[in-house]
Amino acid sequence: MSALPANPQDRTSDRALSRRSFLRGTAAVSGLAALAASLAPLRELGDFTSIEEFFQKYYKELTPEEMKRVLARIERQVEQQYGVRPHVRDLKPMDGVEFVYCLNLTRCIGCRKCVHACVAENNQSRNPEIQYIRVLKLPHGSLDLEKAQHDYVAKEVPEKGFFYMPVQCQQCKNPPCVKVCPVHATWQESDGITVIDYDWCIGCRYCEAACPYWARRFNFAKPEIPKERLNPDMAYLGNRPRRQGVMEKCHFCIQRTRVGRYPACLEVCPVGARKFGNILDPDSEVSHILREKRVFIQLKEEMGTSPRFFYYFDK
Amino acid sequence: MATPAPVPPEPSGPSATRLLAGVGLGFAALAALFVAELWGRPASFRRIPLVATSFLETKPIRQSYADLVAAKEDLSDYDCYACHEKNKPPPIKFDANHKIVIPKEHKNIEMGHGSHDRNNLCYNCHTEQNLLTFQARDGRELKFDQSVPLCGSCHGPTYRDWEAGAHGRTSGYWDRKLGQPVRLACVNCHDPHNPKIPGREPAPGPHSLHEPAPAAAGTSHP
Repeated sequence: MSALPANPQDRTSDRALSRRSFLRGTAAVSGLAALAASLAPLRELGDFTSIEEFFQKYYKELTPEEMKRVLARIERQVEQQYGVRPHVRDLKPMDGVEFVYCLNLTRCIGCRKCVHACVAENNQSRNPEIQYIRVLKLPHGSLDLEKAQHDYVAKEVPEKGFFYMPVQCQQCKNPPCVKVCPVHATWQESDGITVIDYDWCIGCRYCEAACPYWARRFNFAKPEIPKERLNPDMAYLGNRPRRQGVMEKCHFCIQRTRVGRYPACLEVCPVGARKFGNILDPDSEVSHILREKRVFIQLKEEMGTSPRFFYYFDK
Repeated sequence: MATPAPVPPEPSGPSATRLLAGVGLGFAALAALFVAELWGRPASFRRIPLVATSFLETKPIRQSYADLVAAKEDLSDYDCYACHEKNKPPPIKFDANHKIVIPKEHKNIEMGHGSHDRNNLCYNCHTEQNLLTFQARDGRELKFDQSVPLCGSCHGPTYRDWEAGAHGRTSGYWDRKLGQPVRLACVNCHDPHNPKIPGREPAPGPHSLHEPAPAAAGTSHP
């Protein structure tokens, strides 16, 4: 009671905290808090986008000089993040080459080795998990995708009464994903591979919605790749590490196929169900298959997408 | 009963200061929570274990005779006349169901070539008079490392596909100008005595982001 002002009527004159200053103070504190809260997501950006990256031009507008600088920047950033010096290249499509993939449904046993060889080759995020290939398990005698299971668990495959159909990007001749991209961050190259410029993608996911094959994947969280599993052989349009918030998908292992090698999923297949090659070469395996074998589906042919991925049978 | 004290129109004195300080502290705490963003954070993701490196293995599942020679492995299993006598072909025995009886010296062999035991005669492939060679269907005598033409002498369409690259595992280069493809022999994948490729455990499927993996397949949507 001793702190009571001399004049009880005058409640504001020499009080430590007036109503006005209190309101001002709380407004300032909560305003600052709101500002801090709105800036909080910035803390997730462990590695700020560099100025170079921010002002980088569209892939198709980069001069060779600029491309060299971009590749050096990517190599530097990957080394900083993973402690592994990668070899990043910008590989162009070869002349007179159009890639085609053939998959033998008679042979596939559904072991999912291709799924994981792809993840290892293409530096997909392990946590959360991103996989380009989805192996569907279907009952014999039907191609009803409504009956397909992709998360089957089994002691041993193949299971009696089922067949397996791996689905990945079909590298369509008429790709719906390319048509919907509002910023032209994805396009079809002359060898038939639909690629993504990860630095140009705005993450709107229109392409994911447009793809009838569930082939496109989005980096919802910051990708996590253990450094000992990082594949240092990288390509700009291929398997270089992606950022959070961009799309990615199968690109027929550009970093391998554009230097003449087979894709990783093909090399790991224990039953030789996967075949890959240049359809413009009449002596290639895929030309032989399309001529001689019972090639029966382009998946969802009625969509008019004209996939470059063919499913076939023996005999 | 005491007359209730007249309620002041608004709090005054130290109680009011305390109240204001309390509210201020409350706001400050809220501000701290805002910055700490306790409720704004996404629930932590499931830790997904790394896939076993055995699923990334690209090596063939079997070694052919040629591989064994190249790797300088022990070839004593292929020295038939260390036990058998020359010019005295071992007899083949059958049980009551006309199933071939495998002698205990060869118990590592499981006969499963062709369904319904239609192809259970050793001398369909091995040369009766010379166990160190094979005999193709057309009568050619072939060495141990020539398994491909031996298999091809019966399995014509498969042999044709293999030659064209449409059957069997491949690795290396699709572009012949830049490198050579590596073709495997029949016996790198198939056991000639039991050619069906054995089943295997599948690699883990896709993990869901938050909840535990589904107990069993059956209700999935692609």
